[in-house]
Amino acid sequence: MSTTGSVRVAPGVSRGPGDHAPRRPPPWRRASRPWLLLAPTLVILGVLLLWPLARVVNLSFQEYGLRQLASGETNYVALDNYREILGSEYLWTVVLPNTVGFAVACVVLTVGLGTLVALFLNMLGTVWRSVCSTAIMVAWAVPAITGTYVWVWLFDPLNGLVANVLSSLGVIDPGTVNWFADRFGFYSIATLNVVHHGFPFVAITILAGLMTVPVELYEAAIMDGANAWRRFWQITVPMLKPIFAVVTILSTIWDFKVFTQIYLMPGGNGGNAEVFNLGVWSYIQSFAQGKYGMGSAIAVLLTGILLVITVVYMRTLFKEEDR
Amino acid sequence: MKRRFPALVAGVAVLALAACGSGGNGSDPTDAGTGSGAGTQYEGETLTVWIMEGTNPDASAFFDGVAEDFTAQTGAELDVQFQPWAGAHDKFVTSIAGGTVPDVAEVGTTWTTEFAEIGALADLTDRIDEAGLSDDLVEGLVEAGTFDGGLYGMPWYAGVRSIIYNTELFEAAGITEPPTSWDELIAAVDALKASNPDVIPFPIAGDSQFGVFPFVWGAGGDIATEADGTWTATLDSPEAIEGLEYYTGLALEHGSSTAAASTWNEADALQAFIQGNVGMIVAGNWTVGRIAADAPDMAETIGAFPIPTRDGGVAGSFLGGSHLGIFNESPNQDLAWEFVNLMTTGDDATAWAEESGYFPGQASALEAYVASDDPLVAPFAQQMLEGGRSVPVTGLYGQIQGAKTVEAMLQNILTERSTVEEAATEAVTVMNEIFSSGS
Amino acid sequence: MRRKGALPAIGRTLGVIAVLVFALFPAYWMISTAVDTDAARRGAALVPTAFTLSHFERVLDDGGFALFLRNSAIVAVGTVVVSALVALLAAVAVARFTFSFRKAMLVLILLVQMVPLEALVIPLFLQARNLQMLNSLLGLTIVYVAFSLPFAVWMLRGFVAAVPKEVEEAAYVDGASWGRMFRSILLPLVAPGVVATSVFSFITAWNEFIFALTFLQDADKYTVAVGLQRFFGQNTADWGAVMAASTLITLPVVVFFVIIQRRLASGLSAGAVKG
Repeated sequence: MSTTGSVRVAPGVSRGPGDHAPRRPPPWRRASRPWLLLAPTLVILGVLLLWPLARVVNLSFQEYGLRQLASGETNYVALDNYREILGSEYLWTVVLPNTVGFAVACVVLTVGLGTLVALFLNMLGTVWRSVCSTAIMVAWAVPAITGTYVWVWLFDPLNGLVANVLSSLGVIDPGTVNWFADRFGFYSIATLNVVHHGFPFVAITILAGLMTVPVELYEAAIMDGANAWRRFWQITVPMLKPIFAVVTILSTIWDFKVFTQIYLMPGGNGGNAEVFNLGVWSYIQSFAQGKYGMGSAIAVLLTGILLVITVVYMRTLFKEEDR
Repeated sequence: MKRRFPALVAGVAVLALAACGSGGNGSDPTDAGTGSGAGTQYEGETLTVWIMEGTNPDASAFFDGVAEDFTAQTGAELDVQFQPWAGAHDKFVTSIAGGTVPDVAEVGTTWTTEFAEIGALADLTDRIDEAGLSDDLVEGLVEAGTFDGGLYGMPWYAGVRSIIYNTELFEAAGITEPPTSWDELIAAVDALKASNPDVIPFPIAGDSQFGVFPFVWGAGGDIATEADGTWTATLDSPEAIEGLEYYTGLALEHGSSTAAASTWNEADALQAFIQGNVGMIVAGNWTVGRIAADAPDMAETIGAFPIPTRDGGVAGSFLGGSHLGIFNESPNQDLAWEFVNLMTTGDDATAWAEESGYFPGQASALEAYVASDDPLVAPFAQQMLEGGRSVPVTGLYGQIQGAKTVEAMLQNILTERSTVEEAATEAVTVMNEIFSSGS
Repeated sequence: MRRKGALPAIGRTLGVIAVLVFALFPAYWMISTAVDTDAARRGAALVPTAFTLSHFERVLDDGGFALFLRNSAIVAVGTVVVSALVALLAAVAVARFTFSFRKAMLVLILLVQMVPLEALVIPLFLQARNLQMLNSLLGLTIVYVAFSLPFAVWMLRGFVAAVPKEVEEAAYVDGASWGRMFRSILLPLVAPGVVATSVFSFITAWNEFIFALTFLQDADKYTVAVGLQRFFGQNTADWGAVMAASTLITLPVVVFFVIIQRRLASGLSAGAVKG
């Protein structure tokens, strides 16, 4: 990155030979400054999320039903909930493959599509870029619940647009198939829905990032004869690495815990246990079945998986950053 | 999934219940009568009430009227908060846990015993007796609200499912009389299919437990039976299997349905019905009003008939609806009862039933409906009176509903992942596990 | 600003069409159903049968949506402002300072994003009750700030880290204080990041349902996401009203974005990206 700094001059700051040395604060203030800056965040997160999270963990060691909830009593069963979850075939053959497969597909497609769209938008003139990014924003702004109903309608096996087109092409006979009942069909539609709802975030963020990359870098590269492909890998990717990293990490976290889009699809609210992911399973155990301890244990399991993934991501990320 | 509650839990729960029963219920119902009659007895107080959204299309106007009556009668203010059905159960649960419940709430009949069991709702038996109302309540709603000998929800309104049909399609198929037995139902399906192959005669919605129960009951089967306080699932009995085989066989053998219907819920089936291409569906009496709003031209061409039993007769059908429950934590128990009494008896009760398209919870008020000659009222009233049934009255059945055990069974059969016997056996296993976890 | 256009015009046109169709189709469906006289019976028809505004009238009059829109606007704008400020401070801390537990802090901030929100409903409800935050739009705003903070901190960390240290050091060399450097160098440079983050916070606060439903006790404090659910009955749905309400929910987010998009552009021109 050292090659880039030299070409930048911040506005409003003159750079003259007679200027004095930087005014650096005393060491104790330097040491406390990051903590001061972090303090509001830590207070809010600690009180509102970390403490409740600790309660979720606490609940996961209990057999906790509506009765306990109403009376506030505790009922510890040590690791029973975890033993039951981890010992169940259902977790390993259905829920975990659903969760992981779905999340991986969504992350790859969301980040891939989002990046492509961002690069494309970056090539457009101001007017069309605004038009397209506003359209993309519409995709993001449509409430997940409404979006899900639209996708379900689109793929309605009887009256939906897709079924109509396929049947007029003679591919299917409407009324004989129901892709919602099939695990793969169900998740294909869910993936489309989640990618459609998720790619705007990636596209807008990467576009914002692209716009901070100095044009001179590309101009210099073009003069050196680098083609678009090489410019992307040699300038865009390294410059935007932190942004790509955050987009990927956050997408991973969200796509692992997708709930609304699965729960609202036919069968996703409990009728078809073949299509649960960890989030839906946890919710159904807690709220539908009144087994809050079990639901909490599933939630903790999901959190644990994400924690491991994130730490692995960050290892690679920081290795390069710290050099 | 296996789940065993240690005996200790049950003990703790009983203690908790006892504690709630004595501590939470601040006032003794027997001294309610002393001050009644005074129109300003509760001046300055406010009663908070939760009412479910969407039952009555013009609910806010209705409750403006009720609030006036209520204030005139008691001097207290009425604060009605409408709650959407989606997430309503979650909202009740968090409020119970956090102690932020209202004074009175509309409670769906299948939730009443669940909330009663954990000590959230007050026992209304004595108050109802004292008011002389106990003999004039719709039986099915009383059954659904009864836990451990006490009535925890005051019957408010009731609904039941029968079959609605498209009269144009029936006429085109030459069906002159609505089916009154299983054989006639199959004949109607065949006739509809023969007259127009594009018609879906009778879609079997996989995500709807209340569509299948009438056929289980109509064959002489049952969902579960109780002995000595323990419930045992009986969906795998020969009678129940016969009902399941008939119902799913309509789709799988007689082509009455469509593949898409295997994941439909009741709303989806209704949606398909008003497209005009569906012969008949299992539907609640409240859907008549929905059709009139969504497809006014179609309201003229629908009819209804009671779901028949195998040999002819009115089959059992789930009698749903709502109770009004008073929360134990409410400091205004007497005032709350004044409101419940106002809502469930007299003019306000009948007006609500009329506006919402449901049946009143008072037996004497229901009689007018049974005598009605409205072709879209009488069949439902008959089904309710002759066939109104409850699902197993235990909070544990709430868990079974939450697990969607019956719907999962139906979907497995309809998508031919399992045979009827396999699916029924699996459902019974799951249900018995849940039943045994509570004992 | 001149951008390098390697694509021929035809490819660009096709690309624009593809992006527009893919992005807008569900929204098109939503809006066209909202104005369809026969919304419940639409089936697969691409074009509505006839035009009506009656669904919108119903949503605004009987549904009380104007009030919900106002409530949501208060909550969403509050969330955007507070979370952007708080997150920017934290982002600078983790991107620009080296201190012990830095990485631990980063993981910790992210950790709270990993928990499925549905599992937090009850514990967070009890916590909010203890903090007297129930039944108040302010309380709900603070909760949404907490939801969007982890994201915002990480996001802005990326943008702050992308600003070359040399630019800052140049400011120090010129004698600027840290605060001055922050205001006049860092802030303009990360403005696009702040914009992207704000959009996210806005949508988080705008569309959240279950916490809004459980936290708010008075129906006149409900937000639009709760209002939308009013049109779903127990076993029925009023599709015309659902889609009209959804349209009313979507519009303000798009308007917010269009307004803020200009700032994204001006953030760029104010920044130091031009040679």
